[in-house]
Amino acid sequence: MSYDASARAARGTVPASDATFWGRLAGWGPYRAMASFTTASPRRQFIVLAVFPILWVLTQHLGPMVQMLRVSLTDAYPVAPGVEQHLTIEHYLKFFQDPLFWQPFFRTLIFAGVFTFCTLILTYPVAYFLARHVSPKNRMLLLLLLLIPFWVGEIVRTYAIMILLGNTGAVNLVLKWFGLIDRPIPFMYTSFSMGVGIVYLTALYMLLPLYSALEKLPKSLNEAAADLGAGAWTRFRRVTLPLTIEGISSGCTLVFLISTGFYATPVLLGGPSTTVFAETIAGFFHVAGTQWPTGAAFAIIMFLAALCITAAFQRLMTMLRKGDKT
Amino acid sequence: MSNAPLVRLDGITKRFGDTVALSELSLDIAEGEFVTFLGPSGCGKSTTLRILGGFEQPTNGKVLLRGEDVTRRPPEKRNVNMVFQDYALFPHMTVRQNIGFGLELKGMGKTEIRARQDEIMSFLELDAFGDRYPAQLSGGQRQRVALARALAPDPALLLLDEPLGALDAKLRGQVQQELKSIQRRTHKTFFFVTHDQEEALTMSDRIVVMNKGKVEQDGTPEELYFQPATRFVAEFIGETNLLHGELRGTEGDTAVMDWFGQTLRGTAPAGLPVAGQPVTASVRLERLGFHAARPETANAVQGRVTGKTFLGSRMALDIAVEQAQGATLRAYTDAGTGQALSGDVPVWIGWDEASMAILRD
Amino acid sequence: MNRRNRILLSCVYWAFVAYVFVPLILMVLMGFKDSKFIGFPIRSYTLDWYMGVFEDAETISAFLYSVAIAVLSTIGSIIVGTWIAVLLEGRKFWGRAVIFGMTILPALIPGIISAIAFRIYARYLGIEPGMGAIVWAHAVHNVPFVVLVVMARLSTLPKSQIEAARDLGADPLIAFLRITFPYLVPAIMGASIFCLLLSFDDFVRSFFLGGYEPTLPVLIFAKLKSGMSPEINAIATAALLLTAVIGVWAERFTRRMNKDS
Repeated sequence: MSYDASARAARGTVPASDATFWGRLAGWGPYRAMASFTTASPRRQFIVLAVFPILWVLTQHLGPMVQMLRVSLTDAYPVAPGVEQHLTIEHYLKFFQDPLFWQPFFRTLIFAGVFTFCTLILTYPVAYFLARHVSPKNRMLLLLLLLIPFWVGEIVRTYAIMILLGNTGAVNLVLKWFGLIDRPIPFMYTSFSMGVGIVYLTALYMLLPLYSALEKLPKSLNEAAADLGAGAWTRFRRVTLPLTIEGISSGCTLVFLISTGFYATPVLLGGPSTTVFAETIAGFFHVAGTQWPTGAAFAIIMFLAALCITAAFQRLMTMLRKGDKT
Repeated sequence: MSNAPLVRLDGITKRFGDTVALSELSLDIAEGEFVTFLGPSGCGKSTTLRILGGFEQPTNGKVLLRGEDVTRRPPEKRNVNMVFQDYALFPHMTVRQNIGFGLELKGMGKTEIRARQDEIMSFLELDAFGDRYPAQLSGGQRQRVALARALAPDPALLLLDEPLGALDAKLRGQVQQELKSIQRRTHKTFFFVTHDQEEALTMSDRIVVMNKGKVEQDGTPEELYFQPATRFVAEFIGETNLLHGELRGTEGDTAVMDWFGQTLRGTAPAGLPVAGQPVTASVRLERLGFHAARPETANAVQGRVTGKTFLGSRMALDIAVEQAQGATLRAYTDAGTGQALSGDVPVWIGWDEASMAILRD
Repeated sequence: MNRRNRILLSCVYWAFVAYVFVPLILMVLMGFKDSKFIGFPIRSYTLDWYMGVFEDAETISAFLYSVAIAVLSTIGSIIVGTWIAVLLEGRKFWGRAVIFGMTILPALIPGIISAIAFRIYARYLGIEPGMGAIVWAHAVHNVPFVVLVVMARLSTLPKSQIEAARDLGADPLIAFLRITFPYLVPAIMGASIFCLLLSFDDFVRSFFLGGYEPTLPVLIFAKLKSGMSPEINAIATAALLLTAVIGVWAERFTRRMNKDS
């Protein structure tokens, strides 16, 4: 094999007339100048790579929250030209002054907590069945079956629940057929219908973390426990449950956060007695804009409350897990 | 600048946080050499390779390529190519495209690229695989593609990072021969990194043994094997007998030591301790000869055979040396001589001065 | 004992499947009802409602509006998300954890809060409610999902691949375009489809950032507030079919791509 580098040496760095696209690009003057400028040192290369993402997350991800906080602390919004702005916490104080405000707030948190718990109770056996009693071959198929409906949007699925639970809905029809009731039960516009809807919308976010936690659990653990004479319930309580706490914890956190944020579902499925805080907050934004600071303040209160509760919950779960280990 | 060495490493130091991976490494590599960096993992050999390739920058020191300072130059601007440990073949490109990758970026024309691909593929017997993807090749074929891809752009220096590690033992021996012959035919400078001493001895023109970021010894395979300079080298390469004694003094290239009252003579490397200090010597197993009477060799001791290990073509014998408080020497001999020796009769063991290396510690 | 458990659990599973599917099936059925009133039993069937969907200019324009928003916001999310993922994966630098936390933030904010925060910020930036505002909000909201998916894929790319490309003369940008990007294609496809569906299905952000033109979910919501009708069933079913088909196809596609590489 010959090594004749002289032809190329004579040509220098200019690409051949029939060079490929990449060869031309690499040899194209302006591109070379740009490339050698940006890659002159590892530090400069990093800066070129990092500037845009950092600016983006600061201005687009953090920015909206920061601006919301700022608006919630201004005394008058929108700011009129020539008028001095003042910092104030009056919008936060408003929250405590009227039960019309704090009742929906606590209702939301309680509802979210209860619905989260219901979702957990409902999906745990499903996840357990999928992870422990189904062969790996069929597992993906059965899981996929459950995933399909979750691709469908929030509004469409909420509407489906309305049809299910209405006075002339499917449930009432079936109950009437069996002669269990004479007159339809008014499921709709109650906390029950809202619960059915929200659990319906969030079940997947509970199911997937539970499933992956259960799937990781070696089967031999259960067999070992059985070997030591533990009954089915004891085995579940002492082995399976503690080892899936991580899945439970992340599933519950996710579902709780999502549940507090629903707006359309409570509007469509709930009634006057089940107003949630999302509706209260939204109310301030339907009007021209003078009420925005109050709405912003309430949103911040809700966000902080949701964060505190999920943080406390995760703390508790970690403690439970550690407590069981000792 | 024409007589500048191909590569000059000048006082290279590399620190990762608090750990020193290389300290004050200086070295020249001549055009056309097959140089192997040998050492245990973490000795700094891979760091040296990565500094040459441009993937790491030294904390201190300079890298000169044909007299030109390339220390801060990124890999794409160095006329150096590398064969990676995992080959790093591009999975979404065919063999031909993999080989053409570096050629394209050199701005070569399509016809020129095609000619070069054909040339290198026939040279490495890859003609039949041009349109295959790496996933469709065997381990040995992948290794050849990686070599072809690195050779194609005609680098001044080829870096090889343990490229035989992923092959099975049988194939490895064959590939060692191939690599050596490819290097000879192309007259390329190969910089080979390995932890396998046998691999290093088989292929290299020159071996640099590294330990803890420093060069232990730099020489031909024969020098390293028969005249190890340090205890580390003696133990790392091949099997050896280590004799612990006290240095009496040096006479030119010869060093004299006292071993349990026996006076032994061996070769002296530079930097020996002063006389009177404890010192270690190394004698290879196959350099010990068996004699019925005291032999004429520079060194001779008497002992009894205490153990025999049959190894097929030869035999390993353990000999307890009576004059040296029962210290044991190990020696190879042919099976016939081994059979004849019995533990009841004392036997003389002799070796000459050039067979024993007095070691720096 | 174990057998009884198994049967019991499989009953729970199939009951859950029914819970998940029955409402949607009923909704599809109701679209065939030959009456203006929603409710069981259905005595006679008609295709009129479904045919009506294809003739209703309002529905069609809402549908196209939603699709346009989904496509544009997805392009934005993919570019930004991939860029962030490339910065964050396998690189250690001061403040990385903070950047990562901020990257994930939009995915953790409850829907209503996220929607009004975007509404306030859009006014601050001077973006009028309407298509631009919705595209922007969807793009920002979907970035975290892209980052997570792309980072997961990127973490499996051997470092030596990039080094080999650099070694053979590719500068970092060419190495990215020729080696990293092809490797990321399956992840980017998967993430794109996820973003398309998230955007197409989104109600709360579209509702608060929309102008006079409604997206499809907003249109359905508005119609629902003025009363249920089989017409809505037909529209909702059309949306359902589209999302379910894309979802299933994407699932199969990504699984095949993952198997191949």
